[in-house]
Amino acid sequence: MDATKTNVNDVLKAHMKYMSQRQGVLAHNIANIDTPRYKADDLKKVDFNKLVATNSRLEMKATAPQHLTGTLASTGASFGTEKDRNAFEVTPVGNNVVLEDQMGKVSDTNAQFQLSSSMLRKFTAMYRKASGSQQ
Amino acid sequence: MDLADTIRISSSGLKTQQDRLKVVAQNIANAESTGTRNGQEPYRRKTISFKNSLDRETGITMVKTDKIDVDRSAFPSKYAPNHPLADANGYILESNVNPINEMIDMREARRGYEANLDVIESSKNMLSQTINLLR
Repeated sequence: MDATKTNVNDVLKAHMKYMSQRQGVLAHNIANIDTPRYKADDLKKVDFNKLVATNSRLEMKATAPQHLTGTLASTGASFGTEKDRNAFEVTPVGNNVVLEDQMGKVSDTNAQFQLSSSMLRKFTAMYRKASGSQQ
Repeated sequence: MDLADTIRISSSGLKTQQDRLKVVAQNIANAESTGTRNGQEPYRRKTISFKNSLDRETGITMVKTDKIDVDRSAFPSKYAPNHPLADANGYILESNVNPINEMIDMREARRGYEANLDVIESSKNMLSQTINLLR
């Protein structure tokens, strides 16, 4: 097992990416707290079973330049968003952003991000120690 | 969407709340303004509305001030026969600014401003944690 072959790094990086994107979505909701007819967004929760189903799908192999590779290439660039369906209250102008709810989500996102970033740090520190540098 | 964009979105929220506070200040300052000539209308209360629009420069949707409109409700009249602008029956028209409404609007603007500031703070934390990975 070496640092380049494990996917712990990848997992942690993906988690951090998810959390920073969620932070953006939440910031957008909070900025629109008084916009008429605005509906709050959130990132879709990652479903393990669905992830397994999409990741185990075989991609088509292109052996000649005329071949099409298909459109379902699994390059997870960004995560999908969805509307918040069970909002606590909707204002008369049709805005369903609840500030308390959103702030709770922001602090949750922050804590999750901190968790994975400190894990990543510990992980690299471990390899530094193994490679003999003074850290 | 990265964390720098998140900060940009939140700062657009800060700007709109500032605009809202500006309108509130203008309304409160003019709460007693009557017309200067006979038959001229007193100060009409201004209202502000926000919208969610795409910023072409950065490619992210931000909140902007939609338009500053006026409150079309009727002016209250007050009996003041000694006032220079009083009509034949001794009544003058007063501005339709209600100080209680303005105070509530001000509180709400402040709450929105603080929420956006907190999100900026939290995004900044996440960014600095990412940078700390290098240490």
